Amino acid sequence: MKEFSATINGSPVTARDGMTILEVARENGIDIPTLCYSPELTLTGACRICVVEVEGSRTLVGSCHTPIAPGMVIQTHSPRVLDARRVTMELLLASHPEVCIVCDKANMCDLRKIAADLDVGLPRFRLPKHYFPMEDVSPYITRDMSKCIQCWKCVKACSEIAKKNVYGIAYRGFKSKVVVDFDDQPMDKEVCRDCGICIPFCPTGALCKPSPVRQAKTARPLVITGTAQQ
Amino acid sequence: MPEKRIVLRNCGVLDPKDISTYLEKDGFKAWQKARTELSPEQLIAEIKASGLRGRGGAGFPCGLKWELTSKAPGDEKYVVCNADEGEVGTFKDRYILENDPFTLIEGLAIAGYAIGARKGYIYLRAEYHYLLDLLTGAINQARDRGLLEQFDIEIRQGAGAYICGEESALMDSIEGKRGEARYKPPFPPSRGLWQRPTVINNVETLMNIPQIILNGCNWFSQMGTERSKGTKVFSVSGDVQRPAVYELVMGSPLRELVEGLARAKAGRFIQIGGATGRIVPYEMIDTPMDFEHILGAGSIIVFDQSRDIVDIVRRTMEFLAEESCGKCTPCRQGTRVMVGILDKFAHGQGEERDIRSLEELSSAMMLSSLCGLGQAAPIPVVDSLQRFRSDYEARIRKN
Amino acid sequence: MNSTAGDISAEAKKRGKLLVLLEQAQDKLGCLPKEFMARLAASLGLSISEVYGLATFYSFLSPGPSGRNVIRVCKSLPCYLKDLLIESVKREIGVGPGETTSDGRFSFELTNCIGACDQAPAMMVNHDVYGGLTPEELPRILERYK
Repeated sequence: MKEFSATINGSPVTARDGMTILEVARENGIDIPTLCYSPELTLTGACRICVVEVEGSRTLVGSCHTPIAPGMVIQTHSPRVLDARRVTMELLLASHPEVCIVCDKANMCDLRKIAADLDVGLPRFRLPKHYFPMEDVSPYITRDMSKCIQCWKCVKACSEIAKKNVYGIAYRGFKSKVVVDFDDQPMDKEVCRDCGICIPFCPTGALCKPSPVRQAKTARPLVITGTAQQ
Repeated sequence: MPEKRIVLRNCGVLDPKDISTYLEKDGFKAWQKARTELSPEQLIAEIKASGLRGRGGAGFPCGLKWELTSKAPGDEKYVVCNADEGEVGTFKDRYILENDPFTLIEGLAIAGYAIGARKGYIYLRAEYHYLLDLLTGAINQARDRGLLEQFDIEIRQGAGAYICGEESALMDSIEGKRGEARYKPPFPPSRGLWQRPTVINNVETLMNIPQIILNGCNWFSQMGTERSKGTKVFSVSGDVQRPAVYELVMGSPLRELVEGLARAKAGRFIQIGGATGRIVPYEMIDTPMDFEHILGAGSIIVFDQSRDIVDIVRRTMEFLAEESCGKCTPCRQGTRVMVGILDKFAHGQGEERDIRSLEELSSAMMLSSLCGLGQAAPIPVVDSLQRFRSDYEARIRKN
Repeated sequence: MNSTAGDISAEAKKRGKLLVLLEQAQDKLGCLPKEFMARLAASLGLSISEVYGLATFYSFLSPGPSGRNVIRVCKSLPCYLKDLLIESVKREIGVGPGETTSDGRFSFELTNCIGACDQAPAMMVNHDVYGGLTPEELPRILERYK
C-alpha cells in the first residue's frame, strides 16, 4: 500500500492510500470528536462535528469521510474549526431535552462529553424540543426518541451488523426521525428480538437497556436533616 | 442589447409534438456529425474548448465533467439530465421542455456517446408531471426514427423535494431512496448513480451541445466573457410587467434584463439565483450577469419599493427549512433556528444579540454543512444583513 | 476497490423501483394505504420502515388519507408577492390548508415553487397547473374536479 506524507496541526504525518483524515489523525493521537462515525459501520457524514480545515478548501470538510491526500495541510483544532463545532453542538443541544441529571446515559453520553470538551454549556440558539413518548414496553430495549440526535448509527448497526433493518428514517428536515414500521406504536418484542446490537452505538440516551427491576434497598435510608425556614 | 436565442432558438418555432418539424431545423444533425466525424475524445475536446459551463448554478466546466467520467474505469456509465428545476423563481427548464424537448434529447444522446453511456435518465420534477407525455412522445419519436441507437432514455419523476435538484440527492432518488445529500468525494464522475461513473447536466447545459457541435467551439466561445461563454437563459418574475424567460449573451447587464426586457420600474432589491441566491440592492442594476459576478441558475425576482426585505428573507428561510433533507446537523437545525429568529424580527421583536447569532450561525452553516443547500442557505441572511442592516435594526424590540 | 466492477446488484435494481411504484400507487389510489405499503415492502424484501421513510420524505406522496383531488397553492416568493389565493380557495371549498373537505372531494395544501412564477399567482389541482389566477376564476376551475 502506497505511503505518503501530509501535515496535521503543523506536524508531518504518514498516511496510506485509502485512509481518511480522521483515521490518520487518530493513528497519530489527535482526537477529533465524532457522533455519527463508527469504524464498524459504513460512513454517514451527517453530524458535522468532525469537520476540519484543509488548506485550499473553501469549506471545512468532514474528516470521517474525506480521504487524506499527499501533501494535504490539515488543522483539526483551529479557532475556525472549534467555532464551527461549537455551533453544531449548540444546534444539537437546542432541541435536546435538558434532562441529563436523570438520564440513564449520564456520564457515558458522547453528546455531553463532547459538549463539555468544546466548552459548550447552554446553547445560544432556540429550537423546539423534540418530544416523543418513551418506548419502554420491550424487555430488551428502551427508546426515547426525544433524545435522538439523528446520527443514524442504530439504523446502520441494525441493518449492517444485525442484518435486520428494523429501523428506517422517516419524514424530512427538522421532523426527521428514526422510526420502526409505520411509526405508530412503541417498539416491542414483535419487531425487535433481543440482539441489542444497536444500543452501545447510541451516542445519547435515546437507546438504553431497560433498567433492572429496582430491588428493595437493604441499607438504611438516607435521611437528610436540616432546619426548614419558616 | 437584444435577446440572443441559441438555447431557445426553436422555442415557439417548432411543434414540440412532431419531430419532423425539428428535423427540418437541422435536428439530430449534430448527433450524426458527432457519431460519424468525431471520436468521443474529439467530441469532449470540442466541448472543453467551447468553454461551456454548467447552467444549473454551480458552473462546473461541462467538458471537464465529461472527460472525468469518460476516463473513469468501468463499462457501465450513466448520463443524467437534471430537470428537477426547483429553485424558487426558476421556470426556464419548464419553458424549454414544453417548447423544444427534441434538442434536449439530442444533447443527452451526444453526451451519452461522449462518455460511453448506454443509458440516460431525465429526472423530471413532480410539479412538471404534465410535461411527461410530451417528453415521452418526443423520446419515442426519436427512437422510432432510429436516432437513439444503443442509447436508452428513461424518465424518472421526482415526488416533491427541492433537495433532489442537488445532484447526489437526485441520484439517491433515482436509486429509489430518500433524496438525501451524499458526502463528497466521491463525485459523480467517478462514483455516481449506483456507484457508477455518471455525468449529471442541467437541461439548459445539454441544450447548448448540439449547436456547439454544429457550429464549432469557436463560434460558441466568442460569445460572452472570459470565463462565461455563450448565452444564459433567465427566468424573470416578481414586480415586473413582463415576467418571462429571456436569453441573453453572458455578461449582459442586469438592467437589460430587468428594465429592458421585463419592464420593471425602479425596485428596491433583486434576488438572483433563487432561495439560496444573492440578494442585491436595486442600485446594483448594472452588474453583468455572468459567472464572474452573479448568476446562479438564472432566476431573477424583482421586488419593488413596497416590499419588506426581512419578511422576504424569512419566507425564503421557511422554504429552505421545509426543504432541508434533514441529514446533516447544521442545515437541519440551523435553517429552523434562523426561521425562529427571522420570525422575531418580522414581528418587531428582534434583539441585538439575534443579529450576532444570525451571523455566527451563517458562518458555521456555510463552513460545515454537508451539501450545497446547507452551505448556501444562509446567503439571503448574510446579504440582507450586509446591505439592508437598518431594516433589521429597525425591528429590534425597544423596551 | 474497483467500484465499477460487475453489474448493479439485483437488490439495488429492485430497490430502484420503489419510488416509481409509490408514485404510481399515489396516482391510482390518491394516497398510500398502510396495507399497500406493507405488501410493497414484503414484495421488494424491504422493511416497512424503509417504505414509510420514502412515503414521508416526498411531499407529493401522502401516507395518510387524502381527498380525491389535491389543490396545491404555491406560496413561494413570486406567488407570495401576488395575492396568495389562500383565502379564495378557502372560501370556495370551505376548508383551510392542511385540511380535506368533509365529502372527500378536495384536500388543500400549500406548496413550494411549482415553476409557474411567470404566471403568479399559480396553483396545481392534481397534476394540472393553473396560473395568472383571479379569485373569480376558481369556481369554474374547481368545477372540473369531482
